[in-house]
Amino acid sequence: MKAALLAATTSITATREAQAELPPFPSVVETHKAMVYSIAWQFLHDRVAADELAQDVFFQLHKNWASIQSPAHLLFWLRKVATHRAIDAARKRKAKAETSLEETDEPTVLERVHDSFLASYLKRMVASLPEKQRSVIVLRYQEDMELEEIAKVLSMNVSTVKTQISRALELLRGKVSRRLGKENVR
Amino acid sequence: MTPFEEELKQALQRQEPGGDFTARVLARCAAEDAKKRSSLWHSFWTAPAWRVGAVAAALVLVAGGSAYEQHEREVKRETRGMEAKRQLLLAVRIAGTKLQEVRQRVKESEQIEQ
Amino acid sequence: MKRPFLKLAIIAISLSPVWAADDLKLPINLDKLAERATESVDVTLDQSTLQLASGFLSKDDPDEVQVKKMIGKLKGIYVRSFEFDKEGQYSMADVQALRAQLKAPNWSRIVGVKSIKGENTEVYLLKNGDQIAGIVVLDAEPKELTIVHVDGSISPEELSRLGGHMGIPEFSKQKKKAKKDSSSDAKEDEQEDGQSER
Repeated sequence: MKAALLAATTSITATREAQAELPPFPSVVETHKAMVYSIAWQFLHDRVAADELAQDVFFQLHKNWASIQSPAHLLFWLRKVATHRAIDAARKRKAKAETSLEETDEPTVLERVHDSFLASYLKRMVASLPEKQRSVIVLRYQEDMELEEIAKVLSMNVSTVKTQISRALELLRGKVSRRLGKENVR
Repeated sequence: MTPFEEELKQALQRQEPGGDFTARVLARCAAEDAKKRSSLWHSFWTAPAWRVGAVAAALVLVAGGSAYEQHEREVKRETRGMEAKRQLLLAVRIAGTKLQEVRQRVKESEQIEQ
Repeated sequence: MKRPFLKLAIIAISLSPVWAADDLKLPINLDKLAERATESVDVTLDQSTLQLASGFLSKDDPDEVQVKKMIGKLKGIYVRSFEFDKEGQYSMADVQALRAQLKAPNWSRIVGVKSIKGENTEVYLLKNGDQIAGIVVLDAEPKELTIVHVDGSISPEELSRLGGHMGIPEFSKQKKKAKKDSSSDAKEDEQEDGQSER
């Protein structure tokens, strides 16, 4: 009984200490606004809509601030809520700003040699990926998250995350290879 | 990570939202907090047992209250303005989308006639 | 094929109780449609609210700069939009009172398109001499009803120029894209269901 009580108290103390590490809310907004906005942008491709969605995420965070347990939990919470809201919003809008891979403009011969064009081309192709693939690609390569973290945020198995990343990369590599020449794909 | 994945990472770098994003979020949260406070305030004033003490407290508050009210007014104005902007952009988006759909349907019906 | 209709939660900021200007009044029975709709949009922006909003538009965002220029000549923007989960939740009789007002002499119907899918779209312009003083778009689809009234000096072309910006689809690219998006999404889901661990 005593041990259980001690464990519970330690846990509460640890939680309070972790909560005490949380920066003030305005600082959290300033620190993480680019992350939340960029996740929204990757699904909506609309500055206004992404801004609105990002605002909604922080507003919800403000309402749920007491439930945030630690800086790590804060980051997880923001990524999860932002991603899920962005996916829902994109579904509703049917991603009007997306460009189908097949419709992506052919680059000119001169453009092919510039890496900056490759970057903008890649952005457009990521925008055209199916929703699940786009989610994992954004969380992996924009947010630098580990597969296990991505799996938790998206409520998927780790194996599904791996599969989706693999398929997405294959798709993207194939398109780059065909459009911009094989030398760009390694 | 392969070079292709590095390129992908470069391409997907984060973007910043508009310059006043943090201020807008904080204004919205402050407006929400003000709404909650005013409903608490109202129930405080209408509870009979508290009225005598509340009158005395109110006299103290009035002195410091005007600065707070000024701030509240500004926050409310900003919140109202930002909300009006959201509504405006929403309306423009719907109107623009509908007109584009109309153009599309006109084109489709012309094609059918041909 | 799905059209890019914006599904939006109920947002009601009624800052003016009626649709203003030129006595164009929104039929009261439309409010009852919101009860049957799965999602609805209710935007009422009179001139003072438009001016307030204009003050908050960003000077750095080219889309917002364009919107600011556009609304400078407007007296109001009003949107009522309803989405239903099944057909038959409204009838054209619900909008008959509005269409009757649009038969007034200064209103001209410039577009009337009916499709075999049951979509019925009309665009009306209010003329004040040679000037356009208002636009009404009435879009009736089997599971969606949208009415947009822009009160003031604006041309449909100005609004159309926003295509490709602010999430507004670009003319002529929509249909192909929507087809491709829905077929690639469906394929992906099938593959996902059948997939095994690697």
